[in-house]
Amino acid sequence: MEFLHAITVEPIMGIAEDYIFFGEVVISGLLTGVMYSLVALGFVLIFKASGVFNFAQGIMVLFAALTLVGLIDFGIPIWLAMLLTMGVMVALAFVIEYLILRHLVNQPDIILFMSTIGLAFFLEGFGELIWGANVKALNIGIPEISMDVGGMLLNSFDIIAAAIGASLVAVLAIFFQFTPMGRALRAVADDHQAALSIGIPLKTIWVTVWSVAGIVALVAGVMWGAKSGVQFSLSLIAFKALPVLILGGLTSVPGAIIGGLIIGVGEKVAEVYWGPAVGGAIENWFAYMLAMVFLFFRPQGLFGERIIERV
Amino acid sequence: MSAALEKTLPPAQDRVFDEVLLSVEDISLSFGGVKALNGVSFDIRKGEVRAIIGPNGAGKSSMLNVINGFYHPNAGSITYKGTKRPKMRPDQSAKQGIARTFQNIALFRGMTTLDNIMTGRNTKMRRNFLWQALHWGPAKAEEIEHRAVVEKVIDFLEIQAIRKTPVGRLPYGLQKRVELGRALAAEPDLLLLDEPMAGMNSEEKEDMCRFILDVNDEFGTTIALIEHDMSVVMDISDRVVVLDYGRKIGDGTPDDIRGNQEVIDAYLGVSHD
Repeated sequence: MEFLHAITVEPIMGIAEDYIFFGEVVISGLLTGVMYSLVALGFVLIFKASGVFNFAQGIMVLFAALTLVGLIDFGIPIWLAMLLTMGVMVALAFVIEYLILRHLVNQPDIILFMSTIGLAFFLEGFGELIWGANVKALNIGIPEISMDVGGMLLNSFDIIAAAIGASLVAVLAIFFQFTPMGRALRAVADDHQAALSIGIPLKTIWVTVWSVAGIVALVAGVMWGAKSGVQFSLSLIAFKALPVLILGGLTSVPGAIIGGLIIGVGEKVAEVYWGPAVGGAIENWFAYMLAMVFLFFRPQGLFGERIIERV
Repeated sequence: MSAALEKTLPPAQDRVFDEVLLSVEDISLSFGGVKALNGVSFDIRKGEVRAIIGPNGAGKSSMLNVINGFYHPNAGSITYKGTKRPKMRPDQSAKQGIARTFQNIALFRGMTTLDNIMTGRNTKMRRNFLWQALHWGPAKAEEIEHRAVVEKVIDFLEIQAIRKTPVGRLPYGLQKRVELGRALAAEPDLLLLDEPMAGMNSEEKEDMCRFILDVNDEFGTTIALIEHDMSVVMDISDRVVVLDYGRKIGDGTPDDIRGNQEVIDAYLGVSHD
């Protein structure tokens, strides 16, 4: 009884008592959510264009951040280091197409998936071989000051990071939904052979999409790296992207955004208002529980394409 | 077939084809130890309906795959539009005006009929993808222009009612029709159809025959098709090539083929004693 009271009545009273604090919690949840969306977006891009779940996406985030920090440590100015890292990610896309994807056209999806697991191991080792495995700080010069917005205390870094993430997400969403290139990408994801027969060059599409996913990984790596340091655990935020994908649907760019926001807000609110009742640390598992509930009732996610199978 | 069909077909002797669009010479293709094609030569002339027939496993689909570049033959050469063609990828042959459909429908199942047919315009899109990404200026005008062609194809195939339906939900016969639409949207010079009527009921078959003949008639598209239904083949094709175990055993007008003893043997089986 007491427990029920603690998870139903008390949170509502808490919200009513101090709604400004509630606003702070929600907004900080939204800001974290945008960052989750950013990571999830990398998965969605590659899934849309090749029907493959890219196991290496998390490692690509780490690899991009490691490369950036490494270059900055050489004394290269930040803007140039950013451009160079983008170049590295694009080069990586070419290498992946040339060494892996090209040889696996028309293979079952699971084979492509396995190859991305291999890629993940390789990139992890390769990145640490070159740049070392120490925790590194990444300072890209975004100011980190607390600001007072309508009585709520917000961190300027979070706001700027969210704004960058949001604009990137918006551009990609438009690109995929409304352009012929986006349509070609969806076509490739559906059927390699048919796409080839209507003259879509698979090679170009794959290089493009892996490059974009690489650049998205870089942005995610920069934002998360600046927040919590560049280290191996950076690749683990990919796991946080999984529930986002389940919520939003693997094939939907808007889904990745909404999914990220729901998870971000959900886990913050749950932590603050339910935490005391169940002993805290809800933030660590809330997202996965939400994903499980979704799998029961709407396995294709909020915006995913229904899987239609004729018998 | 039906009376309606015979009306759309001018008498055979009026249809004369001189210009060779594509010729294959001495094509051989093997997978490991299996010879799928063995020294096959024939040509496809501009404006004709050319049928490729043969028992199961004769190498018909392999031949189509060689023509559009999915397979590269081990020996032999292909001449298309007067130039000998080097090893070519399917997307390159698509750009040169060869469109096709598949034996097992290969549509983009999650996309609508309209989007599927729109993808057929891919080879005709000129603006680079930066413009496309911005969906601005010239790219927008171009999209409208492509859309007009696609609308024509949709009208032509009488599939207005399903334009917004995801194709995965459509019945088999309609999916075949959408696949034909996607190939037509590319405004091909050579259209390859791999068993366009397989698995259809007689009404759907008649519709499909009508579309094939109309495409040939109205747009002058050259068509090469694989089909098992002999009455259809004899009715709609100008010339027929017959394959058996990877070899060519017959080539000529439907009447020639009907009387060809080797072809009859291949289809009915013959005792070798």
